[in-house]
Amino acid sequence: MKPGKVIGTVTLGVRDPAFRGGRWVVISPMGEEQLTGKNRSDVSSAWSLVAYDDLGAGVGDEVLYVEGAEAMQPFDRPIPLDAITVALLDTYSFTPPSGDA
Amino acid sequence: MILARVDGHAVTSIGHASLIGRTIVLCTPIDENGASAGAPFAAVDPMGAGMHARVFITTDGSWTQGTVHDDHSPIRNQIMGIID
Repeated sequence: MKPGKVIGTVTLGVRDPAFRGGRWVVISPMGEEQLTGKNRSDVSSAWSLVAYDDLGAGVGDEVLYVEGAEAMQPFDRPIPLDAITVALLDTYSFTPPSGDA
Repeated sequence: MILARVDGHAVTSIGHASLIGRTIVLCTPIDENGASAGAPFAAVDPMGAGMHARVFITTDGSWTQGTVHDDHSPIRNQIMGIID
């Protein structure tokens, strides 16, 4: 699981039938600078990604997402998915030890 | 397995059912000298690791599905030990 910030949504016109009803969000991974608040920019330097979302995440929300084979585990059939939101963050704290920031 | 340091925690009330009620920590991967070595990530913590504790973490989702008793859990990362 990785922390990320929702920076957009994706709406598909034509899609694979496996994805019927899916909702998609664009996530910018949150690095140390975003988590500690040193960098308030919503978009980090890491590549943004598109993830399936069934939690109702909106733009500006902070989420945890999972990448890889585990992303399709919540479904009862195999679908070609490799990123999914798994939690909306209410609060978090992140303070690396000083001298190692 | 990932060597990491616990640098914070996260609280969620809306998420996958297998995640609700579990302690979630935010960790930074570390190298053999204890220095930060990568982007932070989240893990489930069944052991109560303290702040800045060094831990090792499995990224095996199928193992974690067993420990959270949910065959459909997408959780991958779980603390497997706290390093002395």
